Amino acid sequence: MSLSLHILAWIPFLNPLPVWSDRVWPWLLLPLAAAVSVVYKSIKCRQMREVPKEAAVILSMIVLSMVAAAVVLVVVVETMDKW
Amino acid sequence: MAAKDSHTASPALVAIAGWLVPGAGYWLLRERCRAVTIGFCVVLLYLTGICIGGVRVVDVPGYGDHGRPLMAVHGRSANDGDSSDQATEDPPAGATGWVMLVHPLDEIRNKPWSIAQILAGPLDIATSAASVWASQPPAGSSIARGARSHARTAELGVLYTAVAGMLNLLAIIDSTYRSVEPGEDES
Repeated sequence: MSLSLHILAWIPFLNPLPVWSDRVWPWLLLPLAAAVSVVYKSIKCRQMREVPKEAAVILSMIVLSMVAAAVVLVVVVETMDKW
Repeated sequence: MAAKDSHTASPALVAIAGWLVPGAGYWLLRERCRAVTIGFCVVLLYLTGICIGGVRVVDVPGYGDHGRPLMAVHGRSANDGDSSDQATEDPPAGATGWVMLVHPLDEIRNKPWSIAQILAGPLDIATSAASVWASQPPAGSSIARGARSHARTAELGVLYTAVAGMLNLLAIIDSTYRSVEPGEDES
């Protein structure tokens, strides 16, 4: 069954999202990191007007850290693979 | 910034309200913007997790893969030969009772994500009921109503729902602390 047929047959909330490609699922980090950033900064900041800027900063830090960790892991795996 | 007159609710009430409705603890402290922001994010994160992994990512303690209550059965473990109670959906005669009544801690330990998920409040209880319903086959069929993912989507669904619960715990603790400590004006 093609991906389009899987999507047509998909019942949201009842069945899992029909996504199997490794190219797609890493993007699901973004909503999780965004929600964590907003909630964490909503708790930490005294003034709610500070939250958007502070949350954007911490979101970018989380995403960059995850990208850096991925790069390091790729280098380690490639290096180990060559030995 | 002036000291805020926000001590209108007891800490216990703030904590209970924060569990019942994510963000409601702040609402009682008149921090409406903070309440709506946190409540919206927690609920959205939880529902996104259910959307990604399906409702069956909520693994309900006391219920098996087919949505039936797990019954404790006294017997010998096949692995180590020790005498131990085991849980099954199809108990033979002599079952000692529902596993949540006989061995609740062991059952919850087998499904540790449920501890984090329940912190999201009654939303998780409703989802748990839906998960049990989706695990059961409709009349005249042997296939469950909802598919259970064993792929990456299941991991992500569990992660989203558990993180939502943990963030709500953070908000409950913070709002309870604010209810007993002098706060700052929110604007």
